[in-house]
Amino acid sequence: MFAPIQLTGEVWATMIFTILAFWGIAIWALVRTLRQEDRKVELLEHQDRIDTYSPRALSDLREWIEENPDDSYAPDARRRYNECVETLEEMDRRFYDWSDEEIAALERLDDDRESSTGA
Amino acid sequence: MSETQAKTAREEWGTRFGFLMAMVGAMVGVGNIWRFPYVAGQNGGGAFIIAFLVLLFMLSVPGLMAEVALGRYTGKGVIGAFRDVVGPGGLVGLGVVVVLVNVALMSYYAPLIGWTLYYAGHSALFTFTGAGFEPGTFLEAFLANPALTISMHTVVVVATAVILFLGIRGGVERVVVFAVPALVISLAIIAIRGLTLDGAAEGLAFTFGIDWNYLFISTTWIEALGQALFSTGLGWGIALTVGSYLREYDDVPLGGGVFTALADASVGVLAAFAIFPIVFAFGLEPDAGAGLTFVTLVQIFPEITGGALLAIVFFVGFFLAAFSSGLVITEVAVTTVSEETRLSRNQTVLAICGLIWVLGLPSALSAEFLDFADFVFGSWGLPLATLCIIGVVGWKLGPERLRVLSVNNNAGLYIGRWWNAVVKFVIPGVMLFIMGYYAYDQFGTPEMIAGMGVLIGFPVISYAVMHYLEGRDGTPSERTVAGGDD
Repeated sequence: MFAPIQLTGEVWATMIFTILAFWGIAIWALVRTLRQEDRKVELLEHQDRIDTYSPRALSDLREWIEENPDDSYAPDARRRYNECVETLEEMDRRFYDWSDEEIAALERLDDDRESSTGA
Repeated sequence: MSETQAKTAREEWGTRFGFLMAMVGAMVGVGNIWRFPYVAGQNGGGAFIIAFLVLLFMLSVPGLMAEVALGRYTGKGVIGAFRDVVGPGGLVGLGVVVVLVNVALMSYYAPLIGWTLYYAGHSALFTFTGAGFEPGTFLEAFLANPALTISMHTVVVVATAVILFLGIRGGVERVVVFAVPALVISLAIIAIRGLTLDGAAEGLAFTFGIDWNYLFISTTWIEALGQALFSTGLGWGIALTVGSYLREYDDVPLGGGVFTALADASVGVLAAFAIFPIVFAFGLEPDAGAGLTFVTLVQIFPEITGGALLAIVFFVGFFLAAFSSGLVITEVAVTTVSEETRLSRNQTVLAICGLIWVLGLPSALSAEFLDFADFVFGSWGLPLATLCIIGVVGWKLGPERLRVLSVNNNAGLYIGRWWNAVVKFVIPGVMLFIMGYYAYDQFGTPEMIAGMGVLIGFPVISYAVMHYLEGRDGTPSERTVAGGDD
């Protein structure tokens, strides 16, 4: 019916690399994000809210708040931080990979900037 | 997700898949199909692909994350998002620039979508496999018939308006969740047929052969830059608008960044397997550009077994690629104008689509004008829009703010501090370099002069208009942002 494709090893290698690098990563990202979505929906059906930051991301958020207490976005940042901490403390199941020790070490930030900075 | 839905009256994507397909549907256009395989083949094959992949991860992925995250954080269209960051005043005009560029882009893209619709219709009538069919004459006759070109332009604009009337979830999402997979399936079918032709290997060798010397040639990197930045639609306001309809618990970096950029590029890769084996099997010229689709490829359908069906699959897929892009490009203006004016969404759809229809008439009547507009806005308007969006994130809002507040919020992938430098310095620097290169390359041409008009005229007029309107309103800024925080 058709002739087998005759290509050099170099062309085959490039094609395989290209398929893996583009289609491979795109499919991996698609499957991963859809699975994460399923997991979030499952958690939300069970407990109506989920933790919104990973341990590293929440640590970055806290660091930024502490470094920029007067920033115009700091109240929103504190609200987001506290919401995540409250969720972690109150909910049994978590989306991100939090350990009990990490959660126990978390502290809520005062919503009022002056008291949070001790002024 | 009932609580999430109850929290806002603003529409949201119904599913994660719908959001992802909207992003990919918007970014995948006709250029993915004919441009990527050829540019790769002309610039060292595998060497170009490596350069492209590096730039995709270095620029497009982080840039798309920034744009989607800004949209998700503000929950507003382009102008509203800009106002949230810069405060009321003339600088909001930078958002107006992005909207104007999108309307201009759609004004010449709609007639081009009309071409694809016309060809899709004729493929269904088996015109291309009929006796005595001449592709060149067929295209010339179409372009020389204003009633036909304007009719196709009108059908496209009306179809766009009808779908946008139905809203984000009921209209756009319903279309893209079918259109994007259908495009991929159609290219896959063509690839299977193309790879079974004698001589197909030459097409693969053209695109995927490797010449490492090209990695040390500047044009390879400039071509790869153009492909990485323009193919992914970075900074056009599309990702911002699509991101503004994300739900509270949705991720940004994995879906809006990595998947969108890689899926968009993957369609180009698939096209390399679908189109170029056919082109080389029949000894056609691979450098015909857009003509490859409308003239070159058309002549081989009668010579392939099952060519009539293949023509339908190809042109329907081609139309879907173009139409889904046009749909979301138009949504950029619809979302922001309906937010910024007293017009309802439906009234806004009518107004924007009507404006696009009127502005699109010159391109519908003249292919030369369409080419000119494409060159001017492709070279100058789109990089200007990208500079506006990335500039606002990088230099006004500050990438670290956006990273900790939105990018890593509910994220499927942790993004570290390296991202800040890319958004603040690398992407704007690269955009300025590209615009400088184009200015040097096209110095003194009518396209460059018109481009300078866009580059200077759009921001000046937009700034003046918003300075007047926002000053007259006198609304105090909710947030006074002193500048970038890092």
